[in-house]
Amino acid sequence: MLLAAGTAPSVVDRTIAELEDHYRDLLDAESAAGGTLAAAERRAESLLGDLGTIASAVQQRPELKSWAWHWPRVAAVVYPLACIAVLPAAPVFAGVVHAPAVGRWLGGVVAAALVTAGMLFGLELSIMPG
Amino acid sequence: MAQTNPPFMSGIPELLLLRLLGEQEMYGYELVRAVRRVTGEAISLGEGVIYPALHALERQGALKSRRKAVGGRTRVYYSLTARGRQRLARLAGEWRRVQSGVETALAGDAGAAS
Repeated sequence: MLLAAGTAPSVVDRTIAELEDHYRDLLDAESAAGGTLAAAERRAESLLGDLGTIASAVQQRPELKSWAWHWPRVAAVVYPLACIAVLPAAPVFAGVVHAPAVGRWLGGVVAAALVTAGMLFGLELSIMPG
Repeated sequence: MAQTNPPFMSGIPELLLLRLLGEQEMYGYELVRAVRRVTGEAISLGEGVIYPALHALERQGALKSRRKAVGGRTRVYYSLTARGRQRLARLAGEWRRVQSGVETALAGDAGAAS
Protein backbone atom coordinates (compact mmCIF):
# COMPACT_ATOMS: atom_id res chain seq x y z
CA MET A 1 0.00 0.00 0.00
CA LEU A 2 2.78 2.44 0.97
CA LEU A 3 4.91 1.52 -2.03
CA ALA A 4 1.93 2.01 -4.32
CA ALA A 5 1.39 5.42 -2.75
CA GLY A 6 4.92 6.45 -3.69
CA THR A 7 6.72 5.94 -0.37
CA ALA A 8 10.42 5.18 -0.79
CA PRO A 9 11.12 1.43 -0.46
CA SER A 10 13.94 2.10 2.00
CA VAL A 11 11.52 4.02 4.25
CA VAL A 12 8.98 1.19 4.10
CA ASP A 13 11.60 -1.44 5.00
CA ARG A 14 12.98 0.62 7.84
CA THR A 15 9.54 1.49 9.23
CA ILE A 16 8.55 -2.18 9.26
CA ALA A 17 11.82 -3.17 10.96
CA GLU A 18 11.49 -0.48 13.63
CA LEU A 19 7.81 -1.28 14.25
CA GLU A 20 8.67 -4.96 14.69
CA ASP A 21 11.41 -4.03 17.13
CA HIS A 22 9.06 -1.68 18.99
CA TYR A 23 6.40 -4.39 19.18
CA ARG A 24 8.91 -6.84 20.69
CA ASP A 25 9.89 -4.22 23.29
CA LEU A 26 6.22 -3.65 24.14
CA LEU A 27 5.59 -7.37 24.36
CA ASP A 28 8.58 -7.86 26.66
CA ALA A 29 7.39 -5.03 28.91
CA GLU A 30 3.81 -6.29 29.01
CA SER A 31 4.89 -9.88 29.62
CA ALA A 32 7.14 -8.71 32.45
CA ALA A 33 4.18 -6.88 33.98
CA GLY A 34 2.35 -10.20 34.33
CA GLY A 35 -0.71 -11.73 32.73
CA THR A 36 -1.09 -14.13 29.87
CA LEU A 37 0.83 -13.96 26.62
CA ALA A 38 -2.39 -13.35 24.70
CA ALA A 39 -3.24 -10.39 26.93
CA ALA A 40 0.30 -9.03 26.53
CA GLU A 41 0.02 -9.32 22.75
CA ARG A 42 -3.35 -7.52 22.71
CA ARG A 43 -1.99 -4.72 24.89
CA ALA A 44 1.19 -4.41 22.81
CA GLU A 45 -0.83 -4.20 19.58
CA SER A 46 -3.11 -1.60 21.13
CA LEU A 47 -0.17 0.54 22.30
CA LEU A 48 1.59 0.30 18.97
CA GLY A 49 -1.53 1.59 17.25
CA ASP A 50 -3.58 0.84 14.19
CA LEU A 51 -1.40 -0.03 11.18
CA GLY A 52 -3.70 1.94 8.89
CA THR A 53 -3.13 5.05 11.00
CA ILE A 54 0.63 4.52 10.92
CA ALA A 55 0.56 4.00 7.15
CA SER A 56 -1.49 7.15 6.77
CA ALA A 57 1.07 9.08 8.85
CA VAL A 58 3.82 7.85 6.53
CA GLN A 59 1.85 8.80 3.43
CA GLN A 60 1.27 12.32 4.71
CA ARG A 61 5.01 13.04 4.74
CA PRO A 62 6.25 14.17 1.33
CA GLU A 63 9.85 13.83 2.57
CA LEU A 64 9.34 10.07 2.74
CA LYS A 65 8.26 9.66 -0.86
CA SER A 66 10.52 8.06 -3.45
CA TRP A 67 12.41 10.14 -5.99
CA ALA A 68 10.14 8.68 -8.69
CA TRP A 69 7.15 10.20 -6.88
CA HIS A 70 8.88 13.59 -6.73
CA TRP A 71 10.05 13.50 -10.37
CA PRO A 72 7.67 11.20 -12.26
CA ARG A 73 8.72 12.46 -15.70
CA VAL A 74 12.38 11.73 -15.00
CA ALA A 75 11.40 8.28 -13.69
CA ALA A 76 9.38 7.64 -16.86
CA VAL A 77 12.60 8.10 -18.87
CA VAL A 78 15.16 6.62 -16.48
CA TYR A 79 13.34 3.37 -15.56
CA PRO A 80 12.91 2.08 -19.13
CA LEU A 81 16.50 3.02 -20.00
CA ALA A 82 17.79 1.30 -16.87
CA CYS A 83 15.78 -1.82 -17.74
CA ILE A 84 17.23 -1.88 -21.27
CA ALA A 85 20.75 -1.40 -19.89
CA VAL A 86 20.34 -4.17 -17.33
CA LEU A 87 18.72 -6.65 -19.72
CA PRO A 88 21.98 -8.04 -21.24
CA ALA A 89 23.43 -8.49 -17.76
CA ALA A 90 20.32 -10.26 -16.45
CA PRO A 91 21.59 -13.81 -17.20
CA VAL A 92 24.84 -13.02 -15.37
CA PHE A 93 22.94 -11.71 -12.33
CA ALA A 94 20.69 -14.78 -12.45
CA GLY A 95 23.77 -17.01 -12.56
CA VAL A 96 25.27 -15.29 -9.53
CA VAL A 97 22.00 -15.44 -7.59
CA HIS A 98 21.43 -19.10 -8.46
CA ALA A 99 25.11 -20.12 -8.29
CA PRO A 100 24.52 -23.49 -6.55
CA ALA A 101 21.95 -24.55 -9.17
CA VAL A 102 24.22 -23.40 -12.00
CA GLY A 103 27.08 -25.35 -10.38
CA ARG A 104 24.97 -28.52 -10.22
CA TRP A 105 23.93 -28.06 -13.84
CA LEU A 106 27.54 -27.59 -14.95
CA GLY A 107 28.57 -30.67 -12.97
CA GLY A 108 25.84 -32.67 -14.69
CA VAL A 109 26.92 -31.47 -18.14
CA VAL A 110 30.57 -32.34 -17.47
CA ALA A 111 29.62 -35.78 -16.11
CA ALA A 112 27.43 -36.46 -19.15
CA ALA A 113 30.24 -35.36 -21.49
CA LEU A 114 32.72 -37.67 -19.74
CA VAL A 115 30.33 -40.64 -19.91
CA THR A 116 29.67 -39.97 -23.59
CA ALA A 117 33.39 -39.62 -24.31
CA GLY A 118 34.03 -42.88 -22.47
CA MET A 119 31.36 -44.68 -24.48
CA LEU A 120 32.70 -43.31 -27.76
CA PHE A 121 36.22 -44.31 -26.77
CA GLY A 122 35.01 -47.82 -25.94
CA LEU A 123 33.19 -47.99 -29.24
CA GLU A 124 36.26 -46.81 -31.04
CA LEU A 125 38.39 -49.51 -29.37
CA SER A 126 35.86 -52.23 -30.20
CA ILE A 127 35.74 -51.44 -33.91
CA MET A 128 39.45 -50.83 -34.35
CA PRO A 129 40.93 -53.49 -36.61
CA GLY A 130 43.36 -56.02 -35.12
CA MET B 1 2.80 42.39 11.11
CA ALA B 2 1.39 39.71 13.39
CA GLN B 3 3.18 36.37 13.15
CA THR B 4 1.07 33.58 11.81
CA ASN B 5 0.62 30.53 13.92
CA PRO B 6 2.24 27.49 12.29
CA PRO B 7 0.35 24.20 12.27
CA PHE B 8 1.10 24.03 15.91
CA MET B 9 -0.78 21.07 17.22
CA SER B 10 0.95 18.87 14.68
CA GLY B 11 4.26 20.43 15.72
CA ILE B 12 4.08 19.39 19.37
CA PRO B 13 5.35 15.83 18.87
CA GLU B 14 8.17 17.23 16.74
CA LEU B 15 9.07 19.76 19.42
CA LEU B 16 9.13 17.06 22.09
CA LEU B 17 11.21 14.70 19.98
CA LEU B 18 13.77 17.38 19.21
CA ARG B 19 13.90 18.45 22.84
CA LEU B 20 14.50 14.93 24.13
CA LEU B 21 17.00 14.03 21.44
CA GLY B 22 18.87 17.22 22.25
CA GLU B 23 19.79 15.65 25.57
CA GLN B 24 20.85 12.20 24.44
CA GLU B 25 20.48 9.79 21.56
CA MET B 26 17.54 7.43 21.85
CA TYR B 27 15.65 4.81 19.87
CA GLY B 28 11.92 4.87 19.16
CA TYR B 29 10.59 2.85 22.08
CA GLU B 30 12.83 4.76 24.49
CA LEU B 31 11.61 8.08 23.05
CA VAL B 32 7.93 7.25 23.51
CA ARG B 33 8.59 6.36 27.15
CA ALA B 34 10.60 9.54 27.62
CA VAL B 35 7.80 11.70 26.17
CA ARG B 36 5.36 10.17 28.63
CA ARG B 37 7.76 10.67 31.51
CA VAL B 38 8.73 14.28 30.84
CA THR B 39 5.17 15.38 30.13
CA GLY B 40 3.82 13.65 33.24
CA GLU B 41 1.77 11.35 30.97
CA ALA B 42 -0.12 14.43 29.73
CA ILE B 43 0.99 13.71 26.19
CA SER B 44 1.06 10.19 24.92
CA LEU B 45 2.08 9.76 21.30
CA GLY B 46 0.62 6.97 19.21
CA GLU B 47 3.63 4.74 19.53
CA GLY B 48 3.80 3.60 15.91
CA VAL B 49 3.37 7.05 14.41
CA ILE B 50 6.58 8.24 16.01
CA TYR B 51 8.57 6.57 13.21
CA PRO B 52 7.22 8.60 10.28
CA ALA B 53 7.95 11.72 12.34
CA LEU B 54 11.51 10.58 13.07
CA HIS B 55 12.18 9.56 9.48
CA ALA B 56 10.84 12.86 8.16
CA LEU B 57 12.99 14.85 10.60
CA GLU B 58 16.01 12.83 9.53
CA ARG B 59 15.32 13.50 5.85
CA GLN B 60 15.02 17.20 6.65
CA GLY B 61 18.46 17.05 8.26
CA ALA B 62 17.25 17.76 11.79
CA LEU B 63 18.19 14.28 13.03
CA LYS B 64 20.80 11.68 12.22
CA SER B 65 20.61 8.00 12.97
CA ARG B 66 22.93 5.10 13.52
CA ARG B 67 22.35 1.40 13.96
CA LYS B 68 23.57 -0.19 17.14
CA ALA B 69 23.43 -3.85 18.17
CA VAL B 70 21.99 -4.16 21.67
CA GLY B 71 21.11 -7.50 23.28
CA GLY B 72 20.88 -9.32 19.96
CA ARG B 73 18.73 -6.62 18.38
CA THR B 74 19.75 -3.91 15.98
CA ARG B 75 18.30 -0.65 17.19
CA VAL B 76 18.20 2.65 15.31
CA TYR B 77 19.39 5.45 17.58
CA TYR B 78 18.50 9.04 16.70
CA SER B 79 20.35 12.19 17.70
CA LEU B 80 20.04 15.89 16.99
CA THR B 81 22.08 17.67 14.29
CA ALA B 82 23.10 21.33 14.25
CA ARG B 83 20.13 22.03 11.98
CA GLY B 84 17.93 20.18 14.46
CA ARG B 85 19.13 22.41 17.28
CA GLN B 86 18.23 25.50 15.27
CA ARG B 87 14.82 24.06 14.55
CA LEU B 88 14.32 23.20 18.22
CA ALA B 89 15.16 26.78 19.20
CA ARG B 90 12.70 28.14 16.62
CA LEU B 91 9.90 25.75 17.58
CA ALA B 92 10.45 26.39 21.29
CA GLY B 93 10.24 30.14 20.64
CA GLU B 94 6.99 29.69 18.72
CA TRP B 95 5.59 27.51 21.46
CA ARG B 96 6.42 30.10 24.14
CA ARG B 97 4.83 32.83 22.02
CA VAL B 98 1.62 30.83 21.56
CA GLN B 99 1.59 29.77 25.21
CA SER B 100 2.01 33.38 26.31
CA GLY B 101 -0.83 34.45 24.03
CA VAL B 102 -3.14 31.76 25.38
CA GLU B 103 -2.20 32.63 28.97
CA THR B 104 -2.96 36.29 28.31
CA ALA B 105 -6.29 35.39 26.75
CA LEU B 106 -7.20 33.13 29.66
CA ALA B 107 -6.22 35.77 32.20
CA GLY B 108 -8.37 38.31 30.36
CA ASP B 109 -11.23 35.83 30.28
CA ALA B 110 -10.84 35.24 34.02
CA GLY B 111 -10.86 38.98 34.62
CA ALA B 112 -13.99 39.39 32.54
CA ALA B 113 -15.72 36.53 34.34
CA SER B 114 -15.05 37.98 37.81
